[in-house]
Amino acid sequence: MADLLNDIEWGEPVVQPLPDADWEAQVKASLGSVPGYLLRVSPVPWLRETLRDWDRIPVVETPQRLMDIAKLVTAQENACRYCYGATRATMRFFGYPEKLIMQIERDVQLADLDQADRAFVRFCRNLARSKPRPARAERDPLVELGYSPRAVAEFAFVTAASCFYNRAATFMALPPEYGFEKMSGNLLGRLLRPIIARKLRSVPPLTVEQPAAPPAEFGGVVAALADLPAGAVLAHTLADAFASPVLSQDLKMLMFAVVARQLDCRFCQAETHNRLQGMGYASDEVDACLATLTSPRLTRQEVAILNWTRETVHFETGAIQKQTRALAEQVRNEELLEAIGVAALANSVVRLAMLLE
Amino acid sequence: MLLAAGAGAAAWRERRRRLQADRLLRHTTDTLEKLQIDFGRFAPWELIERLTASDLAALSGRRMVTVLFADLRGFTALCDQLEPEAVVDLLNGYFQCMTEAITSHHGQVTELVGDGMLALFGALDHNPWRTQDAVRSALAMRAALARYNAQLRERGMGELRFGIGIHDGEVIAGVIGNAELSKFGVVGDAINVASRVEGLTGQLGVDILITGDVRHTLDQRFHVEAMPPMAVKGKDAPLTTFQVVGYEE
Repeated sequence: MADLLNDIEWGEPVVQPLPDADWEAQVKASLGSVPGYLLRVSPVPWLRETLRDWDRIPVVETPQRLMDIAKLVTAQENACRYCYGATRATMRFFGYPEKLIMQIERDVQLADLDQADRAFVRFCRNLARSKPRPARAERDPLVELGYSPRAVAEFAFVTAASCFYNRAATFMALPPEYGFEKMSGNLLGRLLRPIIARKLRSVPPLTVEQPAAPPAEFGGVVAALADLPAGAVLAHTLADAFASPVLSQDLKMLMFAVVARQLDCRFCQAETHNRLQGMGYASDEVDACLATLTSPRLTRQEVAILNWTRETVHFETGAIQKQTRALAEQVRNEELLEAIGVAALANSVVRLAMLLE
Repeated sequence: MLLAAGAGAAAWRERRRRLQADRLLRHTTDTLEKLQIDFGRFAPWELIERLTASDLAALSGRRMVTVLFADLRGFTALCDQLEPEAVVDLLNGYFQCMTEAITSHHGQVTELVGDGMLALFGALDHNPWRTQDAVRSALAMRAALARYNAQLRERGMGELRFGIGIHDGEVIAGVIGNAELSKFGVVGDAINVASRVEGLTGQLGVDILITGDVRHTLDQRFHVEAMPPMAVKGKDAPLTTFQVVGYEE
């Protein structure tokens, strides 16, 4: 275990904490405490609320055990030192045997899981990796093993949500929670385990409100989540992200288009193409922009963000953190944070769009 | 009492047996992980990931790739002037620099043959920008070679020159070989064309040449110059190539 965690190349934080008393009060009211990473994203409202809330979305089809395993394998797959370490420690506090955790990490075939659970782990890994993005054929075995299509849709969202956190944490190079990780393995942690576990589980779930109208963007992906609470939350997040004034709407749509092109998603490529035409781009203009990752309509900083977005789809941790640091030199802090959020969201949404195949 | 003692002894033996099995499993897993890391010296990481996932079937198929051939010019003559250890050291340093330039632009070095190397873009994973990546990689290789030559001059070892040929086309990819020896490879006319284009660099006196199939995917930031059509082996019509002069952000 120590080798796997310590093998992950991880740099100094790219974004620094920015105190915001009002925001801290809101977080404390929602979560009972203020995780440090939420202070680093305070300048961008939709991003900070997404990071605060997505982990609390009520799940209706996914057992808690599978949720915990999904977070572990996704963090491992994305080589996110922050999420991997925190998830591992959390699972230990929840009482998962170290042996089971190691088995899941190293070879799911050896883990004390039944066939359905193993298929679930494989699905999560393949969706997180998306090399290539899983096709419909990879969903069918889960249904054949007894999971409902609604459950499979929620599994896909759970994985996509974990990918969102992994990317945000990685691009920002969040400092790992070493104290928490260490405590999960020492005598004090073992003694306090029941109390810590109860506190971790006591965070109230998110109150989900159905959006007044279907989202303008990527409504098909939201609809694939049917009546799951995750669908309503995703709709709100997409609306808020695209409404944010920090980056231009067309840049954000181009960022989604780049991710869609890299992951070869027919639905998202068509959606982004149509949206960009609605924003005044000619069809061949969209094609040229995506082929070259530049456009006369974009500023130098926007071109830099677009090229950086391409690197966020499949990345080596050290390399993407270096590239994000280079981007930080060219854009304002709010722009960097929103770019991180949009890139993470695009990667999650396009992966989720596999439900539409 | 005897029965209880017997049951206790059996339970103790069973526990000991499981602990031994666990230790053996951990040792085997550690060995396999080390092997996987060591194997990374011999094959691209993306390929190793697929192999360990037993995903060999997914590696096979027809696909569009961009092929980059690079070959040192005059290296054989240089070998005659240097001690064997110096030749190996020089070559390894060259391959290190070139590989970094290629992998940092989403390419995979799939073969090292003598002083030549074959790199592929878009062979293992879908890459819509593979031609631009290959050309920018070649420019990075040019810059890296200039830096490496500065080091060689300081050590009194002369300098290296290379030729690079780049072409984009359809290939058949897969794990090729037999039970004793196999490799991930690609076959097809695109490989031959790229190799021929590399061969033209010497005749035309340039270092980086691309074909028309690559040229038409590049935008105005890439500065290229058309070269005179040249006859190449295996092609009926002369081949038109373009020298890559530079790239402007």
